[in-house]
Amino acid sequence: MTFLQDPEFGDRIITLMAALVLVLQIAAVGQRWLVSSIRIFAVQSFLLAAIAGIIAYFNHASHIYVAAVLTLILKAGLLPWFLERLVKRIEIRREIEPLINAPLSILIAGCLTLVGYVVAQSFYHPEETSVRALGHNTLAVAIALFLIGFFTMLNRRKALTQVLGLLSLENGLFLAAISLTYGMPLVVELGIFFDVLVAVMVLGILVFRIREAFDSMDVSRLRKLRE
Amino acid sequence: MILLWLLIVPLAAGPLAFFLRRRPLMEAVNLAAFAVLLCLAAALGVKVLRTGPVSLWNDFFYADALSALVVLLTSFVALVCSIYAVGYFRHDERNGIFQKQEELRPLLAVPKLREYYSLTPLFVFSMILVALANNLGILWVAIEGTTLASVFLVMFYGRETSLEAAWKYAIIGGVGLSMALFGTILTYYSAHRALGTDTLAGLNWSVLVGNAAQFDKPTMRLAFILILLGYGTKAGIAPMHTWKPDAYSEAPIPGAAMLAAGVLNCALYGLVRFYILSSKCLGPGFASHLLILFGLLSMGVALPFILVQKNFRRMLAYSSIDHSGIMVLALGFGGPLGVLGMFLHMTFHSITKPLLFFCAGNVQQHRKTDLFREAKGGLIHSMPLSGAAFLLATFAVTGVPPFSLFLSEFTILRAAFSAGYLVLAVLFVAFLVAIFSGFLIHIANLVLGPDPGLPPADTCRWKKSSVVGLALVIIVMGFWIPAPLFRLIQGAAGIVTSGR
Repeated sequence: MTFLQDPEFGDRIITLMAALVLVLQIAAVGQRWLVSSIRIFAVQSFLLAAIAGIIAYFNHASHIYVAAVLTLILKAGLLPWFLERLVKRIEIRREIEPLINAPLSILIAGCLTLVGYVVAQSFYHPEETSVRALGHNTLAVAIALFLIGFFTMLNRRKALTQVLGLLSLENGLFLAAISLTYGMPLVVELGIFFDVLVAVMVLGILVFRIREAFDSMDVSRLRKLRE
Repeated sequence: MILLWLLIVPLAAGPLAFFLRRRPLMEAVNLAAFAVLLCLAAALGVKVLRTGPVSLWNDFFYADALSALVVLLTSFVALVCSIYAVGYFRHDERNGIFQKQEELRPLLAVPKLREYYSLTPLFVFSMILVALANNLGILWVAIEGTTLASVFLVMFYGRETSLEAAWKYAIIGGVGLSMALFGTILTYYSAHRALGTDTLAGLNWSVLVGNAAQFDKPTMRLAFILILLGYGTKAGIAPMHTWKPDAYSEAPIPGAAMLAAGVLNCALYGLVRFYILSSKCLGPGFASHLLILFGLLSMGVALPFILVQKNFRRMLAYSSIDHSGIMVLALGFGGPLGVLGMFLHMTFHSITKPLLFFCAGNVQQHRKTDLFREAKGGLIHSMPLSGAAFLLATFAVTGVPPFSLFLSEFTILRAAFSAGYLVLAVLFVAFLVAIFSGFLIHIANLVLGPDPGLPPADTCRWKKSSVVGLALVIIVMGFWIPAPLFRLIQGAAGIVTSGR
């Protein structure tokens, strides 16, 4: 069982999982069903929690365990549950005419991944770092997640998918934080989790109210306020 | 200890108002809490001036002149808004605004008011936390907190348009702030190498500022761009300003005034903290050019919308975009004068903007519309007080002498000249003049003109006292700035220029 102590092995596992996270994100871009989008988000969050746990294990950084557990409970458990309940209550299962069709969206997501690699390359120099940091693969994946989340929010018109886009954007940030600096200080991490939780609740209430008022979740119907 | 009280008072007032349920009690709790808060803020200002920065809990909370100034302005705005809110919501209640949406059941005004009076203190709490947090991550958490607490203020009236405005506000704000979080993470990373700690202190501003010169430069560059986009979204600088007109025109007036004069300062405060780090790390040039670009863009975007505006509350929002542009521009011009001009502008803007909102609120409640065309003009006949105050506030906010915004805009102009930006200075003046004329034409048409023959208003004591009080403060500040306040402003400017 010596390989369990080998940091090299940990890095490989993390890179593999980060790749899976990216694949899931691209799959979410082409997804047409709301419930599956939510589940993809849940699996993605589960992988992130696992990545955080592995980093904590190989670097003996106990505060990352807290972040991992919180991610597991909140993002892989509580939030998907809440969102699925919301979907049931407002009785919408199908997304969803995206503005750009699925194949083209996936192509764009691929391009954004490339952009992520280019950006990550530009300011990542591990040889100067005193602390051993992860390969730039993880950082590139994080930036790609951020960009693809952004693209999802622009591309989708249903209020709930925009919330999902925002959440996956946040997942990208989490991955960036743990891969760059082994997480933010614990207090900050807790604050961010709290904010994400409250934000989803607030947005959930808002989605519900919009659904009641407009009889639709289509954000493009929100167009009364114009100059 | 004083730092703790500054946070406890608003944090306790929210739940207290929530459990008291009865309207007069909720109003009293809000008024008392914000009055105490203003006293505490003044005490903090005095203490900072006397003994330098105050900190608590191992530097977890930290207040220097810059924080003290923002805390003071925030609590001042909160107090005047809470005085006005009493009259404003009583008027709403009498006119059955709340019943209309909830199917005419009696007493339904109270839950709505309860929502307002218990969320507002929490909103103020997060604004105070923004200024007092030493940790840049906590600063981000607090700014996100202001968004979350104020989403409910924007959707307060529950109209379709309010929901739309709230959605835009929450989503655009959320995306903007996630960029700011990315910027914060990158700042942490770029400092990581110099500081090499995984501890809490690694994100403390008071620690970072001493070591900023050793940060990793390419990372810091990207971090500052993300921070500028992120906190710029919250401050409503163009092109991330699109949520502002909607949110400001849908929120109830006291809430909108707090967004315009409170959150704006907090967002700029966050930006200034990172500006200091970035200019120590990269030299002032990099940040300056970006700030000047976004500042002028905001003024330029606000201008046409002010000129052709049909809705006076949206006009106030564009004025706010214009002013955040001016402040960002002042920071971009830099130098001791530019920074001083920025903080003067922040101070004067925070006392002037609420008055504009209050007058607009009086007009809207009286004429039952927020469109210039339907409001019909002739305000001065039926509402002499609000009409006169509206004109006065218009002059004050567009920077006409002797009002104090003239002083700050003039200082900014001098900064532009002394930094050698001649063309930009001319452009700055041109924007100011054009916005002044657009604003004045609209408001003069609204206030002056023939009497439309409506019954006189301006009877509510609460609304009158807040309008008159604020107008007096504005007039006095035009001629005399209290010496301690000015020293606080100078202290804040000193922190930006010298880093300490």
